This record gives sequence, C-alpha cells and structure tokens, in this order.
Amino acid sequence: MRKIGEILETVVVVAILLVLVHTFLEDYSSLAGWDVNARKWIIWAGLGFDLFFTIEFLTRMYLALSNREGIVYFFQQRGWIDFLASVPLLLFNSLPNTLALLAGTGLLTGLGSFLNVLKVIKAVRIARILRLMRIVKLFRRIRYVRSPMAQKHIAVITTICVSILVFWSVGAAALQAVGVFPGLEASYAGGQTARARAITDGDAGTPALFGRAAAMAAIDPTVLLVRHQGGSAVWSRYDGAYYRAHFLAGDYAYYTSNGMEVYLDERPVVGAAAREGIVFFFAVVLVVLGILFLYAPRFALGISDPIHIMQRGMSESAYNLEVKIPPQRADEDVFALAALYNSVFLPLKDRESAGKPSEDSALTIDEIKDLVDKG
Amino acid sequence: MPALRQLAALQKEEQALQFLRISGPQLQPVLASLGLDLNAGWQQAAGTVAHSVRTEVDRLLGIEIASLMNTRLTLSFFPAMAGGRQAPASARQELLALFQRLASQPVSRGALAGSLAATRADLTDKYISQAWDRKKYIYVEVTRVQRLALPPADLAGLLRFALMIRPAAYLYMTIGAASDKDAGFTPLQEKYLQKITPALSALLPSFPSSLLMAGLRSTLPYPGAGNVEAVARLAAILALRGRTLAPGMVVDRGADGPDMSWFNVNRKNARWHSLDPRMLDELYTIAAENNW
Repeated sequence: MRKIGEILETVVVVAILLVLVHTFLEDYSSLAGWDVNARKWIIWAGLGFDLFFTIEFLTRMYLALSNREGIVYFFQQRGWIDFLASVPLLLFNSLPNTLALLAGTGLLTGLGSFLNVLKVIKAVRIARILRLMRIVKLFRRIRYVRSPMAQKHIAVITTICVSILVFWSVGAAALQAVGVFPGLEASYAGGQTARARAITDGDAGTPALFGRAAAMAAIDPTVLLVRHQGGSAVWSRYDGAYYRAHFLAGDYAYYTSNGMEVYLDERPVVGAAAREGIVFFFAVVLVVLGILFLYAPRFALGISDPIHIMQRGMSESAYNLEVKIPPQRADEDVFALAALYNSVFLPLKDRESAGKPSEDSALTIDEIKDLVDKG
Repeated sequence: MPALRQLAALQKEEQALQFLRISGPQLQPVLASLGLDLNAGWQQAAGTVAHSVRTEVDRLLGIEIASLMNTRLTLSFFPAMAGGRQAPASARQELLALFQRLASQPVSRGALAGSLAATRADLTDKYISQAWDRKKYIYVEVTRVQRLALPPADLAGLLRFALMIRPAAYLYMTIGAASDKDAGFTPLQEKYLQKITPALSALLPSFPSSLLMAGLRSTLPYPGAGNVEAVARLAAILALRGRTLAPGMVVDRGADGPDMSWFNVNRKNARWHSLDPRMLDELYTIAAENNW
C-alpha cells in the first residue's frame, strides 16, 4: 500500500513538472504563432492536466473527510493550494477552451458581444495564473533537504512568496476585467468596437454600405472578414484555408450590427497577454529558484545543519563531531549555541562517558544474527 | 555487516557486545530463532552469543594482526634504537606471540583495540609527516628534547611499534565484575611499570628495554612525576584517538572533521586524560589545516 502511495506521489511530481512546461508552452505557442494543430494539442493537454489535478484534489479531500481531517487537510496541509491549482482552472480555463475548440468557430461567436467575449478571455487568463500555484505543490513534495524543519520552513516561505505574486496578479487582472483599472486590452477593444461600428454604420443592405465597408476593412489591418449576417463575404483579408490554419477561438473577435458581421484580429492582444504570461511565469520560477538555491542552503548551513549536528551529539553517545562555526556568522544565535556545544557540552560528554559503557551500537538485530551464524 | 564493515575486529566486538548489553530482553525472539535455550534466562543465551562473537573476532583479529605485521610493523627503526644491530629473526615471532597474549586478557584486549585501530588508520604517518613539515612543538620535542635522529618514516614506524606495545602495560591488570571501557586507558604509575618490565622483557627478549619503554611509558600521566618522552606522549594521544576512530564515517554537512573535533575536545580535556596539551594543540592545527 505504501509503495502504491509512493508511486502515486512520484506520478504527481512528474505531472507537476510537465504542467509547468505546459504552462510555458501555452503562452509561448501563442507568442511564436505555432501551427493551430500544435496549439490544439496544448489545449487538450491542459484539459488533461486540470482533470488530473482536480481528481487528485477531490481524492485527497474525500480521504481527508473520511478520516474527519478535512479542515486539517484544507488549511494546515495546504489543501487550498491543491484546490486553487485544480478546480478553478478546470472550470474557468481548460473547459471553456476545450468547448471552444469543439465548437469549431469558437467560444466568441456564441456570446454574441465583443465586450462579453473580452471579459471571458480575462476570466480565463485570471484562472490561468493560478497554474503557477502548482510550483508550491511541487516544492511540498520533493525532499530536497534532509531536515524536516528546513523542509517545512522553505515550503512556507515559498508558499508565501508565490501566493503573494499570484494573488497580486489575479487581483490586478480582476480589477482590469471589471474596468476599475482599464488596461491596454480595454483600450484595444474600445478601438476595435469603434472600427466595427464605423464599418457597419449606414443604410442596411445597400451596395453603398457594402462597398464602403469593404474599402474601410481593406485599410484596417485588424479587420479579417466582413460578411452579410449568416451569409456570403463582403470582403476578406485571407482565404478560408488560411483562417483554418492560423486562427483558434480567442484569436479573433466578432461584432455584429446592421445585418453585417465583422471579424477582427485579436492576435496582437493574445500575443501581448502571452508575453506578460511568460514574464510572470519566469518571475515566479526565478523567485522559487532563488529560494531553493540561495535561501535554502543558507538556512540549512546556518540553522538546520548545526541543530542536526547538536541533536545527534546529544542523543548518540558515540557521536562527537563539532559544529563548524564560520567566523563571519559566529555572532548568530545558532552558532553562539553551537560554540557552547563545542566548548562545553562535548568536553563534558567526553568526561562523562569515560569509564562507562556506551548506550548505543551501530548494529542491528539482523546483523548480530548474521555474525552469530558465521561463528 | 554493513554497519561494521570498516571497523577493526576488536571494534566490531565492542559494538556487538554493546548491542547485546543494551538490547537485552528485546533479543529474546532472535536468540530463540538461533535455537538457544531461553529457559535459564535470556542472559545465559546472550552469553553464548557473546562467546560466539569473541570466537569469530579472535579469528578476524588473527588475520588483522598478521596483516599488520607484514605491512605496517617493519622494524626499520630497530638499528637506530638498538645500537646499530638489526632486528633478530625471532623478533617478529615474539611480537606475534605478545599480541596474541594481549588479546587473551580482557584489559589488554581493550587497550589493544585503540592501538590497533590507530595503527590500521595510519594516524602515525599522517601526523608525523605533517609535524616534520611544520617543525614546531612535536618536531622539537622528538628531535631536540628526546634526541631521536630518525627519518620521519622510521619515526612513524617507531610510533606504530610504541602504540602496539602500549597495551602490554595492562597485561597483568584485572578488572572486577563490572566492565570498564576505560580499563585499558587509565594512566599507570612508574613504579608499576618498573615492576612489570622484567616480565615483559622476558616475553620480548630480542627488543632492548629502550624500545619497550617507548610503548610502556605512554601509559604514564602527563604532567607526572617523571619526564615522559615525546614519542610516548604522542603514542598516548594516538591510542586514545584510536579508541573512538570510526573508519568510513560520513561527516555531516556543517560539522568539523572527526580528527579535528576529537583533538579540539581533548585539548580541553587534556588534563583530565593526562595528555600533553601542546601536542594536542599542534595535532588539532594539523587536522584543521587538512580538514581531517
């Protein structure tokens, strides 16, 4: 049973590592203009990961509740991180993305309003930021230091740093989404709406309107397609094959008025958001790496290692190694204690143990049996 | 036995007997599985196991001593210490017989454990070569005060010899019912050494008394009534170091090396163990410089 548990934990760690790569690729593929098929695979993989982590969270929660430890799991064992890194992502990110993919023409068409579409994109993006909470999950599961104290301490520091970064980012994105702090996207969307309105403004169904609309669309590089509502194209920048190969739901916006439909290129906004996402991703990764490779060793060398040595010296009769005290850190509390351990405790222990049999042995029962069998 | 693999035979024995002593009644199922009769109490069965352990260790000890005689006890220092004459052919046989006798007596067996461990670990070569490079207290004490004009390699050989002869000072000592792990390390008095020297000389007729005394006088306290020679003082320190040597020990991150830790602790306990504090200071410095 324990072995199965260990295997599952390893699977979870591998999944977290993969999902971090996936998080990066999701943004990078938009920025680099990857082929639609590759981006479709990334969306499917995102659904798979979110489903996996949702099932993992629900299983852990169910087991905790079965043992009447639901509150302990959720609040003390950081189940809330498991929750934030799974359920909201499934509901607000990968499921809408996948549904849009299945719908073919996409998420945006069905909503019928350009501004509503923008809000959905933002909600999805806010949810996506939560993916970075999985770094904390990863940190919690890898045994990177020997000392449980160091492990817990570093995990708490990482959780605080990553949570602050993620919540700050979620909060900022939410404030932008509700229009408190309108960002670049809102301004871009406002410009697009005005253009679409200008293209469709005029006497409905007249050749003059169509001609003017086509002329306006041709000089505006963000306009992709103008057509009669539910009918034939009035003007198109590319052919159908190009659209199928380069556009996914979310890459374009849709506006309808006066019996006409206008499709607008959203890729500049998507690219800018992907760039922001990558910058934020690396910011979080660098913070975590900084904690792992700069802070954790310093904590281990200055606190948990000396304590570990002193604890062994006090509990094992034959252990008499001194704590190495770096001169530049000698005034720190732990090293001041270590100096006392070196200069007072160990000499006293040496005197105390003189003439007395040791209280422990390096042997185990199996080894003594082996020795006797040979004899 | 992975836990004991790198230990000397007598250190293995100490660990095994210690294990029997501290594990006590928990061992009953194991003792029963070995087919031992527990009706007379587990202590008796444990005694049988202890006997088997000693038998096995005696066998290992024989191999260890033979190997030591061939590789480390070269007696190259003999002419310098015996007026130029070479060691007679019988010298090695006499030594072998003495070591076997030392191993058969409980107190000298305990003393032999420290000496053997220190000799096996080549502590003498390590520290003598460094002390000769430094030319500080140890060098001055050996060459100027004791006036030994030996090259470092021969001096290391002499020190090994002194370490191995040292347990002979405890050959005629007995201990009470209670086992005392310090029995083979307690300082002795000069009068006692004078009393036992003729008997020991009879066991080692090929060796001049000056050589014997290099080892025997390492059991005298420092500072004591008489002037203990530098080689004997060094041998006393290294024998005590050998008692707690743990070959292959993994040093925890953030800890000083085993030698460095031991010499530093014993610098503070020099008076307690009747050791030369200035030698301990220099040995500590050497260990610290080399991260030992």
